[in-house]
Order: sequence, then C-alpha cells, then structure tokens
Amino acid sequence: MSDRPVRIAVDIGGTFTDLQVLDARDGSVRAWKTPTTPEDPSIGLLRGVAEAAQRFGFALADVGLLLHGTTIATNAVLERKLARGVLLTTAGFEDVLEITRHVRRELYKVDPDPFPCLIERDRRLGVPERMRADGTAELPLDEAALPGLLARLDALGAEAVAVCLLHSYVNPAHEQRLKALLAAARPLLPVSLSSEISPEIREYERSSTTVLNALLMPVVKAYLDRLEGKLGEGGFAPLVFLVQSNGGVCSLRQAAEQPARLLLSGPSGGALAAGRIAQLLARPNLVAVDMGGTSYDVSVVQGGRVSVVTQGEIDRLPVRLPMVEMRTIGAGGGSIASVDHGGRLTVGPRSAGSRPGPVAYGRGGTEPTVTDANLALGRLDPDYFLGGMMKLDMPATRAAIADKVGAPLGLAVEPAAQGMLTVVNANLGAAVRLSLFEKGLDPRDFSLLSFGGAGGLHAIDVAAEMGIREVIFPREPGTLSAYGILYSDLVQDIARSRVMPALPASLPAIVALVAELRAEADAGLARDGVPPERREISIAADMRYHGQAFELLVPWPEATELAPLLARFHAMHRQRFSYADEAEAVELVTLRAIATGRLPKPEAAEHAPEARPALKGSRRVFEDGAWRDVPVWDREALPPEDRITGPAIVEEPFATHWIGRGWTAMLGPAGALIARSDA
Amino acid sequence: MLGPIEIEVIRNALTAAAAEMDVTVWRTSRSTIVRELLDYSTAVFDAEGNNLAQSARIPSHLNSMSHFLRELLDRYVDPATWGPEDVVISNDPYCGGQHLPDICAFKPVFHEGRRIAFVGTLCHHIDVGGLVAGSYAAKAIEIFQEGLRIPPLKLIENGVRNEGVWAMIRQNIRKPDLLLGDLQSQIASLEVGAAALRRLATRYGAAGMIEAGRRILDMSEQAMRAAIGRMPDGTYEFTDWLDDDGIDLDKPIRLHVSLTIRGDSISVDLSGCSPQVQGPTNATLASSNAAVMFAVMCACDEPFAANAGCYRPVTTIAPEGLVVNARHPAPVVHRIAVTHRLLNAMFGALHQAVPDRIPAAYYGNSYVCTFQTVGEDQKREVLVEIEIGGTGAHPSKDGVNALSAGMHNNSNIPIEMIEAQAPLTITRYGLLPGSGGAGERRGGLGLLREWRVDSPRCFFTANMDRFVHAPYGLAGGGPASVGRLVLARDGAESPLPPKSDNVPLQQGDRVRLETSGGGGFGDTAKRDAAARARDRALGYVAG
Repeated sequence: MSDRPVRIAVDIGGTFTDLQVLDARDGSVRAWKTPTTPEDPSIGLLRGVAEAAQRFGFALADVGLLLHGTTIATNAVLERKLARGVLLTTAGFEDVLEITRHVRRELYKVDPDPFPCLIERDRRLGVPERMRADGTAELPLDEAALPGLLARLDALGAEAVAVCLLHSYVNPAHEQRLKALLAAARPLLPVSLSSEISPEIREYERSSTTVLNALLMPVVKAYLDRLEGKLGEGGFAPLVFLVQSNGGVCSLRQAAEQPARLLLSGPSGGALAAGRIAQLLARPNLVAVDMGGTSYDVSVVQGGRVSVVTQGEIDRLPVRLPMVEMRTIGAGGGSIASVDHGGRLTVGPRSAGSRPGPVAYGRGGTEPTVTDANLALGRLDPDYFLGGMMKLDMPATRAAIADKVGAPLGLAVEPAAQGMLTVVNANLGAAVRLSLFEKGLDPRDFSLLSFGGAGGLHAIDVAAEMGIREVIFPREPGTLSAYGILYSDLVQDIARSRVMPALPASLPAIVALVAELRAEADAGLARDGVPPERREISIAADMRYHGQAFELLVPWPEATELAPLLARFHAMHRQRFSYADEAEAVELVTLRAIATGRLPKPEAAEHAPEARPALKGSRRVFEDGAWRDVPVWDREALPPEDRITGPAIVEEPFATHWIGRGWTAMLGPAGALIARSDA
Repeated sequence: MLGPIEIEVIRNALTAAAAEMDVTVWRTSRSTIVRELLDYSTAVFDAEGNNLAQSARIPSHLNSMSHFLRELLDRYVDPATWGPEDVVISNDPYCGGQHLPDICAFKPVFHEGRRIAFVGTLCHHIDVGGLVAGSYAAKAIEIFQEGLRIPPLKLIENGVRNEGVWAMIRQNIRKPDLLLGDLQSQIASLEVGAAALRRLATRYGAAGMIEAGRRILDMSEQAMRAAIGRMPDGTYEFTDWLDDDGIDLDKPIRLHVSLTIRGDSISVDLSGCSPQVQGPTNATLASSNAAVMFAVMCACDEPFAANAGCYRPVTTIAPEGLVVNARHPAPVVHRIAVTHRLLNAMFGALHQAVPDRIPAAYYGNSYVCTFQTVGEDQKREVLVEIEIGGTGAHPSKDGVNALSAGMHNNSNIPIEMIEAQAPLTITRYGLLPGSGGAGERRGGLGLLREWRVDSPRCFFTANMDRFVHAPYGLAGGGPASVGRLVLARDGAESPLPPKSDNVPLQQGDRVRLETSGGGGFGDTAKRDAAARARDRALGYVAG
C-alpha cells in the first residue's frame, strides 16, 4: 500500500515509547526506546522516529507506514479525562447503565464500591420510543420530544452524546433518526450510536460500550488531529494505522469514529508477536506470558492462532468488542511479600508499583518485593539494572527481607527470598495451568513464551512447575509488543445480533444479513485504501443451545449452508463443554464479519551477534541451597553455536533471564533464545 | 517437618485444585442454572472432612459442604469402607444438607494406602421433582412435597455406577437429562480434584499432605482468633424479622442473635429464634451456620484464607425445632430467606462490637419470581428472575444502589434477552428513588421492575420477603423502604401476595416489583450538604 521502504511500529507505554524499525532494503529490524511524553504522546513518538532515523540511517521520507499502538484511550478512561457526556436511551430505562449486571466481585467486602458509572443519573435522558425484539416499533420515536432534549443537552453542556435504545441491534431506525436530527440541530456535537459501535444484544454491555465510545471521541480526535498536524514535517508522511483491541490495526478515520476499539489494545502487540513467533519458530502451540511490575498476563496461541473473545472490560466497565483473550493475575516484579498474623507468607496481589517500587530502587519502598528477592539471591546485578541506568540498593533490600519475611518466619535472608520466589512462581504456574485447563488443553503440549521486563527470571521455574519442557525468550522482550505490531494487518469487525433458530426457515434472513455484512466489510476496507486482492472477509456466528445464556463463536467460511455450521457448533461445544446434543434446538445470536486488509510483510534478516565475548563472567548466586559462582552470558553477543547450561544467567540491557539447573539454552530462529529441559 | 514456604505452596495448590474442579463443572455441566447462575461450589477437605480450600461464589455455600461431609462421616457412611473409587452423594437437609436442589458429591483421595483428603462438589440442580417445576414450592408444608430426597449413598462403588440409583433418580425428576448430565459433571470434577491432590502427594507424601492440612487449618484458626481478639468482649443482642412463611400470613418469624465475644472466641446463641414454621421458610444447621460464619468473617479486620480452621473459634447454639434448626419433616427449600435474615441479625449484633466496620441492613432477600407463559399454540416458556435491592450504608460510605449483597450473589437477565425469547415485555426497569434509608450515610437504592404479559395465558409464582419488616438503619440512620408487588390489570392496581404459587395472569397484565433499598447509617442531620445536594440532583431521594 506504500512503496516507501521503511515501516515503523510504535508502542507508547507509561514510561517509554518503544519503536521497532523494519527497513525492507536490507531486511534489518531494529529497536529504539525514548521517554514517553504524557502531556502529548505524539511529541515523544516523533522524537523517537527522528532519533531512530539518525541512528539507523534512514530518511524520514523513506517511512511509508507508521503502525501506532497507543494507550491514549485507555489512560483517558482510567484517569477519567473524558468528555462531558449525555446518554439518550429508551424512556423508562435510564438506570440500566447504573444498575449494571450487579454481581459483586468480593464476597466478604461489607463496604463495596459501586461499579463505575461514567454518566450520572441527571445526565441520562429518556427518549419516548420503543422497539420490540423482532424489530418492529411498539412506540414510534416521538420527534416532538426533540426540542426538549436539545434544551437539556445545552443546559448540561454536553460535549458528546451516546445513544443506546432497546433492541437497536435489530432495527437501528430510531437511533439513526435521532442522530440525523441531532446532526441537523447541533452539527458539531459528536454522537455515538450503539447500533454503530456494538450492534449486539444485551443492553447494559452495549450501553457501556457506547458511552465509553462517545466520551472518548473528542479526546482521541484531538490527539489524532495533533498527530496528523505534525505529519509532513521533514518529509515524514507515512500512512498511519492504530492498533486495536482485536489484534489488528485500523485507519485514523475509524479510530476517530470508534475510539472504544483502541481501549484494550495493550495486549494486542504481545499477542501479535506471539502469533508471529509461533510461525517463525514453527511452534503452533504457545502459551505467552508477559510479566511486568504489577501484573502477569497469560494468552494462548493454539494451532498458530491467538484466541480472541467478543468482550473485555476496563476498570470494571464492559467493552463489548472483540479483543485478544487474556488472563491477568496481580503478580509482578513489584508484588509485595508479607506474613499475616497466622504466620502465612503471601506474595501479591498488593504491589509497590513503580513508585515507590521495590526496596532496591531506593525510592522509599520499605516492603520487600519479588524484584528484591531476585536481587537478594544474586539473580539481578545491582550494577547492571536497565543496562546500568539504575543502581540497586542491596543492603536495604536484604534488610527489608530479613525484617518483613525472614524474622516472622524464622528464616535467614536467602531462604526467605527463595521462599518468596517459590510462592510467586507457584501462583504464576497456577494461572498458566488454568488458562490452558479451561480450554481443555494440556500444558505438556505447549511451549512457554516469556516476555515483559520481569518474565525472564521466572519462566523456567514456572515451566518446570507445569511440566512444560521448552521456554522461548524472544529478542528484546521489553519491546516485544512493538515487534508484534510491526507485522499487523488491518482488521475490522462488524457484527449484527438477531436471535434466530438455526433452521432452514431462517436461512434467507441469515443469507441477507451475511450479504449486508460482507458489503459493509468490503466497503470499509476499500475506504481505507486496501486493494481488492489484499482483502479477506470471513464470517462467524455466535451460537448456543436454546436456553443457554452465552454463546460460542463459530467460524462459518462458506456462509451459505447451515449444515456445516451446525456440525462445527456441535463439535466445538463438545470440545469445550464435553457434550453436544444434535437433537437440541440451536440458535444464532450474532453474525460477525471479520474483514482483513493484508499489509505486505517484508522479510527480516537474521541478526549478527555483537563482536565481543558472549561469556561476560560470573557472579555469586544463591542456588539450590548455597551460594555458587554462576556464569553470566551477554545475549547480544551470543553466537548460534554456543550452548548455555543451567544454572546460568543471560543478560541484556532491559531484561535478565534465569536458566535453571537441568535446562540448556541455545539461539533459535529470529534471534529467540530457546531453553529446553534436559529431563 | 514442612517449612512455611512449602505450606504456602501446598495451600495454593489446594486452592488451584478446587479451581480446576470448578472449571470442570463449568465446562461440562448441562443446565443453565449451574453455568449461568454459577450456583455451584467445589472444595478440598482434609482426611477428616475439614474444608481446606474452596472455590465458591455464593456465601450460602461457604462451610456448608464441610458440615455435610462431617455429618456423613460421623453418622451415615463408615469411613473404613469408603474406598478410593466410591462416590457418595446426598441432598438431604436432615443428613447435613441445606435443601433438596443442592446435591453434594464426595470422594476420598488415597496415597500410599492412606486417606489423605476428600474432594467434594455441590451443584444446585434445576429440578429434583416435588410439587412444582424447579422444586421451589412456596406452599409446601412438609419436605416430601419438595422433591426427591437422596439419603447418603454410594452412587459409584468400586468405580462401578450403581445403576439402580441412577434409574431411581431419573424416574422422579422433571428434567432427567439435565440433572444427570450435571451430576456426571460433578463426578468428573471429583476425579480432576483427586488427580491434582495425588500429583501433590507424590511430592510431599501422605504424611506431608496430612501435616500440611493440619497446619493450614491451624494458621487460619490463629489468624481468626487474633482478629476476634481485637474485638471488644461482651454480649451483643439483635433481633430482625421475616414477614411470614407464606402459610400463616401476618405471623412474623423472629431471628434473634445473642452473640458473645470472649477473648479469642465467639459464641452465637440462636435460642431466641422462632419455632420452625409450616411453610418452607425453615433452615437446617448447614444453612444457619453458613450465615453465622459469613457474618463473623465479614467483621474481621484482616483478610485470611477461608477454611475450616476459621470455624473453630465460633460456636453456634441452636436448639432443634427452631426456624434455624428445623426438625424433620419441615419443608426447607426457602432456607435462603432464613439465612438472609439471620445475617441481618448477626450484623446488627456485630455492629455493637465493631461499630466502625458493620453496615446497616441490606435488602436481605432473594426476590424470586417465575413467569410461565403459555402461547396460542400451547408453547411454554419459563422465565425465572431473581431480583435484588440496595446495600446498607456503611459507617464510612453510602450504600450501593442495586448490588447483589449478603447470602446470595447473582446477576440480572438482560431485558433484550428476555424479550427475544419469551412473550414478555419489560416495561420499566430502574432505581427506586427514596428507597434507601436516610442517615449521615444513605442506604443504597432498591429497584423497580415491571413485566407485561404478551401471551394469552401466564402463571406467576413468587417467593419474596421484606414487605412488612424493613431493612433497619444503624446508629440513628433510618430504615429502607419495604417492597411492593402490584398487579396492574385493565387500568386498576391491586397488591399481589409476595409468596404465591401459580397465579393466573392474562395478556396485557403488568406485574410491578419494587425492592427494598439498604438501611441508613448515622444521624441524618449530620449528612453533609454536598451529599444532600447530590442526592437531590440525581433524584436518589424522593420528591
């Protein structure tokens, strides 16, 4: 889609903006990092691009494609820096947004907090109208109510309007008419219709998604306007795409209209990378774990595909849009260890975060964390943390572990620190096991893909715990998301809910819906400049047995005949839930089109090792009950023929990896370090 | 001798085993009640039947399985003949269970020839026979009307299914494929749990597993005792009321708690509760204990691992023949109502001990109602709704509007889903202004929900409470509103009895339910001006 040779992927995190630069002229893939500029992330982004251009020797005008991962929407929600919005909804149902689904998350909590509600009660306005489930109008939209609504909108100072009417997923006519009337009366007011952003059955989830979308529209638009305003400077005029929650990218236009699609995009980069690595290493079954400071994210690549679900949530607010499936537990480098009154040692979910952070950071942290335990045992080098950018405070770390864990348990510092790691690794292992177990999968059929700043020190122990025999440490584990984004495609999801029996009588209606979805999907790709030969549209259906309250997502490639669809549904149901009943009535709930615009994938060249000794030296590490000299390897200088025998440490500027006793590691394709159990 | 690290790793592994069992039930069960209402629990016990780890989302299940298993071992099943391939099931409230729809299944786990543990699964089944579909008869007056009673028996013996029992169950229930399918999934989950424990035992040995279990219980007991020790000694009394049992109308049921904290233990005397009643608003000890334990654990100031060790410092005194310890053959299916109100009463007593920690009364009630529509073509659809209300105001914050609280925990059903599947229309659904108790902290609001019948005929069944006795306020806070259930027909409104079976409705009828909010906390005069202004702006208060 662009014949300029350089493609850049950018992942903007809280602290750093990570870049990966692929130059098709020599196949080089290189990483760069620059501090994030939170007040306007586009400043840091452009600075990073300019720095990378200078460092790696390309011209700004050579950049044809900028693939942009951003937390701008996510942060706006978490920090509540959102537009002042109003919700228009069917009269009599204004409180659906506040009632939520009303299940509590913490059983014993007697002072629960309400679920967040982004539009309060006085800003939720009822519209006289009512659709039925079959799409007919029981009460037509009362247009005479419009002047009153407009007066309220003005009085409330509305900066954005969300519209969610009952059953609009079947018949959006009332929502569309409202939008037209609003556009005529208040042309500058952003309006988001539930039937456009998430036309799916279940009013609370659809309302929540629409409200998030509406309140984000002005925020994200302002950012994209700033970014676009800067394009063209110094000849830097690439096509720009944004990373969505579904593991694909979208155009600026789409992102401005449907910013809720960016909300859960954080895991997309990692999952894309996992998918890419699964392909490059010919390992179709990977369980990918991303361990950072506060959380541990587990996702599964099965048969080469990253699993996607149709709903996620942010800050306890549901987002009914496709996203990469992920299990998250509160365990990371910053997880705090403590001993309770009964003498029980727990690690996490409380976290020291990055401020004050672990005791070792010397920023005022007093409670020992997982990172502190790694330092105390010698697995981390106090003088080579973040490539030597930060010195770690060993005496304070040992004192905190002795005081807060060792003394109450009657243990010396080393066994106390070892105990902290044992406990946290058991927790991580349980999360991985459950992620696979709930899909009916066996850990022994999987390789563990470890990334994130803190992952490398725990992966081998977690794998050993699970009976996983191979661990893959990809190159640059700290910027892996950006690497994944580099190989993304345009993906547009379109959905229509219509509860129908999966019977021949429904087929004409289904076929008509599919045709509508295809046409819309194709037009969407065309609008984003995808040439016809690079467009792919696949159809899937959310299906269930009559009486069930949740659906299975069933692919339907042919999308013309019911028999193969039903057969696939029964088979999936059997695999996932251990039974199927072909005599039972099956329903279709939602039809989906997944439109993919394939972006060209230039080949990357293999990396050459740095010309310096791979074996850096050794250091004292507490391992298997005693202090020992353990070799320390320099990942960047490692040649393909070297074998690393555990126990050993492998260091690179932003990560340290622990190769345990009984494991051997070597370089594999794409610069990945592959460790295998000798057992 | 195991160190503290091994103990914590084993504790986590036991919790993970319960979680794997949980996933197994979720993955393999048939009925929607299990998978969507998540009305099931899985647990791991020590070799004596003490709960070590549990996966439960519903407080009424806490402790109840351990109680059941201990009863079985003490009275009904000879442990010496309970082999590794024997699965024992029962649902009998008079053998240690809660009510007939809850079938529990247990299996021992052996290693090196020694029993090292039990695993157990509880499922709420969709129907176990009896007077009405769903086995929730509001008008039953003895347990025989409530469905099939399964005494403790070996459903599987030496790995072989007891086919006679399977056939017997099949013959006595309305949806045999669903029930037996769910029962299969319970059995599958027992095997998953047993395998996880055997895996663990190969690392730590039978002796290690037994030692770990003992120490895990001791640690929780110690933490619980420390927490109780931080509460002031004294005897604290409180009374709350259920409206009636649905049979003897206008005869309230008294739930009286006399709670004594002495040092590091608590004794809860329920002797002042009403005698058992004719209708199904009775509970057996398994249910009442769950409410007592849940209340005490909520009142503790430090979170700790919930297991049978926590139960040791707490004694319940409940003479037989009371509504909290019903004698055979009293009906008990609506035992949840007793536990809701008992929890309300426990909180009222605990408030006097730890006034900064305990909220005013929540709505205290599962608003269960069922619509069975009958179409022109005689096609039937059944909608079971369980509504909720507002939570009680807490000393430090307002109550929450419309949140599942107390002994149950369930979600609503989407309006669009209901209307897409049954000839019913929801004509209103919203918060109920003014339903929260006044106070320095306001109680959360209850709900209003209104259904319209669109089919020629429909039968309506309800089992609800708090229509007379409102959720109380504390420390000078006001009570919440009471509930209302109204039938609107041909332009006229009339009250519907909140405990009723099979009321015939016709096309166009509307049924409106108004649920209670939560009680208020503290003197209303002290409520700050900004909070008052906000209540008015958002229409949380009436007028």
